[in-house]
Amino acid sequence: VNPDVAAAIGRLRAQRVLSSGQAALFSRVARAHLVSIRLELRLLLYAGVLLLASGVGLLVVEHHREIGRWAITAAIGLGAAGCLFWVARQAPPFSWQAVPSPSVAFDYVLLLGLLLLASGLAYLEAQFTVLGPRWAHHLLVVGVVYLLAAYRWDSPTVLGLAVSTLAAWRGLSVSLLHGSLGAGDPGDLRANALAVGALYVALATLSVRLERKPHFEDVFGNAGLLLLLGALVSGALAAAAWGVWLAALLAVAGLVMWRSFHLGRSLYFAQGVLAAYAGLLRLVFAPSRFGASSVPFVVAALLGLGALALVFTAHRRMTER
Amino acid sequence: VRPEAAAWERAAEVREAAAGWRRAGAIDRATHEAIDAAYPDPCVTPSAVWRILTAAMVTAVMLCTLGAAWIAVQPGVTGLALLLFLFAGAAVVATERLDAAPRLARRGAAGATSFWGSVFLLAGLGLLADHAVDQVLVAGVLVWGAGCWRWGSPLCAGLSAVSLFAFLGRLPLGRALWVLAGSALAAVAARRTDAAGWAPSHRRAAMVLLVIGVAAVYAALNVYSLDEQLLEELRAIAPRRSAPPPGLLVLAGVATAVLPLVVLAWAWTSRRTLLLDTGIVLFAASLVTARYYVDLAPLWVVLTVSGALLVALALAVEGALRRRPGGEYAGFTAEPLFADERGQPLLQAVPVAAALTPAAPVAASEDEGFAGRGGAFGGGGASERF
Repeated sequence: VNPDVAAAIGRLRAQRVLSSGQAALFSRVARAHLVSIRLELRLLLYAGVLLLASGVGLLVVEHHREIGRWAITAAIGLGAAGCLFWVARQAPPFSWQAVPSPSVAFDYVLLLGLLLLASGLAYLEAQFTVLGPRWAHHLLVVGVVYLLAAYRWDSPTVLGLAVSTLAAWRGLSVSLLHGSLGAGDPGDLRANALAVGALYVALATLSVRLERKPHFEDVFGNAGLLLLLGALVSGALAAAAWGVWLAALLAVAGLVMWRSFHLGRSLYFAQGVLAAYAGLLRLVFAPSRFGASSVPFVVAALLGLGALALVFTAHRRMTER
Repeated sequence: VRPEAAAWERAAEVREAAAGWRRAGAIDRATHEAIDAAYPDPCVTPSAVWRILTAAMVTAVMLCTLGAAWIAVQPGVTGLALLLFLFAGAAVVATERLDAAPRLARRGAAGATSFWGSVFLLAGLGLLADHAVDQVLVAGVLVWGAGCWRWGSPLCAGLSAVSLFAFLGRLPLGRALWVLAGSALAAVAARRTDAAGWAPSHRRAAMVLLVIGVAAVYAALNVYSLDEQLLEELRAIAPRRSAPPPGLLVLAGVATAVLPLVVLAWAWTSRRTLLLDTGIVLFAASLVTARYYVDLAPLWVVLTVSGALLVALALAVEGALRRRPGGEYAGFTAEPLFADERGQPLLQAVPVAAALTPAAPVAASEDEGFAGRGGAFGGGGASERF
């Protein structure tokens, strides 16, 4: 119950700002006589898909010898086909613009179907080693399948999975569960992150410019900036030639802040500020510069104040979209 | 919460509701403007991104300044405590000033200064009390509680309650005290979540306390927690472990099964969605507890069946609600009503990508052939190693 809104509705009705029909509906919601459980349904579906995918994966790992490769392939294939058939029947016609989901469950059944399909492909690859030593390329195949599905069925959720799977193909862990950039040679990872990040940022730009699923810009843009700025911060903090990386980081972060300010994108702007601040901390706390001194802390605090001033100014002037 | 801040908060609640009505097309522009004019709010309220960014930078400034002072003065223990008190005082003054200024009150800076002010104060007390945990926890209850009362922070309310239960857990009969205090807290907080006399921020704090109270009761009654004596581990000197009486374990088992259902029933009748979410989480915890004690089926069966049941349940509930006249049943609907769903696609994509993305393959040299490390598929438990 929101007593302030409930009281306001009565007052607004008395002043004839709201009609009786509007006031009745708003009042039901404000007094919790009508409550949305949309978020709870989403949570249940998300947990259900997570458990199902995990259970199927565990079954295949533990019992593939007893069940047999063809039986497993057929069962996973049937499950995936069932989900995707349901999705295809429910889906509205394709459009390059945003298409509302026909139901809360739509995205999650699509997700389940694609996860089962990916499990099936991975199983086939492991059993028949179609790609041989280039087995990691199955991530490319799966990522492209996710990407096509995301466009066909207008799912930012699946697009997020596609973006992170394609990054994984290049050895990058966008996932929170697997560290910052991934395991492997840091130089290669940074190069891959820069390339993939730049590609995603370009796709975000093209999505809007060409009006091809412009609402996908958020997913492409944020993933791209995360990779791009993450690689530069990683280079500024850990690479031998950190000065070059820092210069590149500051240039890119400045560009990101400038563009996002004009585009009205607060999340991009925040990433730029945080990345630039992290890079500058490296400069300030460079071990050989001040030794055990309070000077770097004072400078870091002053930089923080400068960043705050920038944030306040940008917020005041930015027209957020 | 100062009276003028409470008035701003109330106006903001109405304006936010009106923005939702406008987004849903339930009111026209003129009506929206009339409502905004009737409920003026002088505060600047940035989006969550700006508030988090501001709080992060304020945190950096405060910690760096403290670090600079620490290195410059190089105090002993008492000196460090005094330094922390000095910073706590400065943070409290800053919070008061920020909170009183409509243009600054809701930018995230006041939240950061109040949080760190309390942390500095408690850290200073901890140093002076020679790391006496009990005294610090009691002080934590009071300091965080006062912070919540003065500045209306639900985070402070939550930390105050956590301090309280951590302290009670260290006392003899801590488990019984968790049940009693948790029940009392939930009962008192439940009556305040809808109190018109309370500021909106205090009502949100009451909701946090309600959830923590319910969770504390469940944690104390859960059969696994009793069996493993998890709460007793909180004591300064943990008692020697002995098996609880079988009768008590049976009672705890019954409570583990029944309590989530009671919470769900309470949520159903009171139509509180946060309580509903709590009930769902507790129900899942009870299922995991049951799986620990009763090996009904292999793990993959449990995961697959429970996953399928959850999906089926959600589909059935959504379908049933859609078929009803007006798309509602017993006051529940699957429609978003007037909620702001603009940022939802991105919020939805993040946990999916985080939990379900395959692991990146580790580079292997060509002569190693098929390495098969990484590239795991299908979420937890699934992998490429067949």
